[in-house]
Amino acid sequence: MSFVPGQPVTAVVQRIEIQKLRQGENLILGFSIGGGIDQDPGQNPFSEDKTDKGIYVTRITPGGPAEVADLRIGDKIMQVNGWDMTMVTHDQARKKLTKKKEDVVRLLITRKSLEQAVNQSKGKYPRP
Amino acid sequence: SEGSDSPTTHTKDVTTHTRAMKVKHQALQDQLESCLLQLKKLCIREAELTGQLPKDYPLLSGEKPPQIRRRIGAAFKLDEQNILEGSKLSLADAELALQMKIYEAARKLCEEHHLSKAVRKSRLQQCKVEEKKLKKLQEMTFQLRLERGRSSPLPAFNISKDLGTSDDSSLSDSVVQDEEVTSQSSQPSSYPVETDPPLMSTHSSEDGSYMSHSVAPRLSPLNSCQSPCPSLDSNLSFNSSCAYDQPPIQNSPWTESSLDQPYQKSKKSHTSNKSERLPQLEACPSQTSLPQQLSHLRLGHSHSNSTPSTPEKHIYRQLSLRLSSPESSALKDRGRTRVPRRRPTESGIILPDSLSPTKNFLHHEDSNSEKSFSSYGSSPCQEFPSNFSRHYLSPFPLSSPQGSYGPPAPPSTSFYHPQSYLLSPRMQRTYYNTDMVYPPNQDLARSRFHQHVPNRYDYCYRDAAVPHQRAPSIRVTPPAQKDQLYYHANGHPHQVVNEQLKSWHQRSQLKAPRSRSLDRPGAVRMKTTAARELTYHQNHKYQDQVNVQEPWFIDDSSHYMSQV
Repeated sequence: MSFVPGQPVTAVVQRIEIQKLRQGENLILGFSIGGGIDQDPGQNPFSEDKTDKGIYVTRITPGGPAEVADLRIGDKIMQVNGWDMTMVTHDQARKKLTKKKEDVVRLLITRKSLEQAVNQSKGKYPRP
Repeated sequence: SEGSDSPTTHTKDVTTHTRAMKVKHQALQDQLESCLLQLKKLCIREAELTGQLPKDYPLLSGEKPPQIRRRIGAAFKLDEQNILEGSKLSLADAELALQMKIYEAARKLCEEHHLSKAVRKSRLQQCKVEEKKLKKLQEMTFQLRLERGRSSPLPAFNISKDLGTSDDSSLSDSVVQDEEVTSQSSQPSSYPVETDPPLMSTHSSEDGSYMSHSVAPRLSPLNSCQSPCPSLDSNLSFNSSCAYDQPPIQNSPWTESSLDQPYQKSKKSHTSNKSERLPQLEACPSQTSLPQQLSHLRLGHSHSNSTPSTPEKHIYRQLSLRLSSPESSALKDRGRTRVPRRRPTESGIILPDSLSPTKNFLHHEDSNSEKSFSSYGSSPCQEFPSNFSRHYLSPFPLSSPQGSYGPPAPPSTSFYHPQSYLLSPRMQRTYYNTDMVYPPNQDLARSRFHQHVPNRYDYCYRDAAVPHQRAPSIRVTPPAQKDQLYYHANGHPHQVVNEQLKSWHQRSQLKAPRSRSLDRPGAVRMKTTAARELTYHQNHKYQDQVNVQEPWFIDDSSHYMSQV
């Protein structure tokens, strides 16, 4: 899901909205992220393209807000509340996600199954 | 049969019969032998490739298995480690999935009402045990994944600079919980920057109110450099510009961080944010937690006039503007003439555009919009969705998922109604209920619009279009099944609606920039308090994140929900 400069890249994305959980003074999202442009993308176990420096969902807390919102392990986060997440450092991503003032985060994510679904329908029903 | 009465013919019959049987037997035996031979050949071939004689090799009694040498340069080589790890991982995954269910069940047992103290206690204990197991398993699968990722033979992985750290064993130490430590040690310059109070304050002033939040992403694409160093940040504060000018540090080990703990703590923000939060919630669709959303709707009703638009949508507009043409006027013209038969590449632009205009239009341009919009705004809510669905859904089956990658999308949010209504009758009913709670007015209509925003977009990068831009631009098209609506429904109602929507679209394009409630009185004050809180809580940050994996209790969530 990374893109080659100069090459258009298409991704099928899903909108996911996570209602943060307030636990005492903390806002809980219920998932973990990995990746970012400051991390070695080769070690990312979730990416297909090992040069992809995107932000990936590495963990989902069972029963947590993220799971409720149908976020899944391995999802790549493309945007958070409209902010680009494909070219950010790990901490920038975390900051955008854990904003204290926002009780809701809206993500655009992409995952393999989404693309497969589209590709399948592409094959089955060729566009007129 | 004819001569069955004579004994001679009878014996003759028997002998011919046995002879026939013998022949048949022989034939079968021959066939068996040839099959065995074939099997042997296959087994030997397999042994030549794998170096091991399969168990299926037919051994006659007393026969010794043949000694077979594995052929050098056999057609393929099995990566045994890979296969092994793969299975290990899938096993662990299965176990994890199971444990997840077990944990969920345990948790639900805990939640049951009317439990005696002893039972509740034991269940809680059980729940904790299961949770521990679950965490362990999660850890394990994660590690396995990491290892596999490290040793995966993907070509890109062999890039030399990646190899340097990935072969490093430091990964295993640094991966999981103690990411604070690693990030501190591995990127000493960037970390303090991130937590620098002045920087935080610029951030908070950007996002202190929703209005400014949406300004930020709107502007940044126009600067044509969004990341890795957000240009806004560097423009706004001296501090951050110094910090961001440094190139991002590459190749720190791949780590993860839990988002269960906040970046900063703040007590005050709870109250001050609540009023801020509600309008936004009201304006945005939540398809997962309906009851929650509805309650927000109810509460947010009073705020509706100042509802800011979602920043997300603005970025789409801006990005697509840049994508198609630098001048927005060009797009407007195009939108006027070409809306009905947009090519796939353009279709994406329209949808998100039309989303925010819907909202903007409604609450900022009420007086102007009455001509074109009154039919939507004031019509009883039950009416037009069903009309729409009749118009658009009858000609074709719902089930065919046309690709979500292209067909033209007229700028209409209302087009979503037929689909979602038809797809989820239960949802529909719920909405009706809420409709009855409130008098049917424009706010209601608006909130209804937003509940049907699709949750799948096409997301396209077009780096080629803007050579110097580092951040990808985004094109958004509506989801699959909805597309087909636009595409096929060439009937009359489609046209009519299109006309209305076109003008609508254009107007909203003109008005969009004004749509944000820039002068909310509370906004400025909130910023400053937020900044103060931030600086204060920086000190506690590392502490906070030590207990990263704090258990998540459902009790709190239910409490939370009811509170809202």
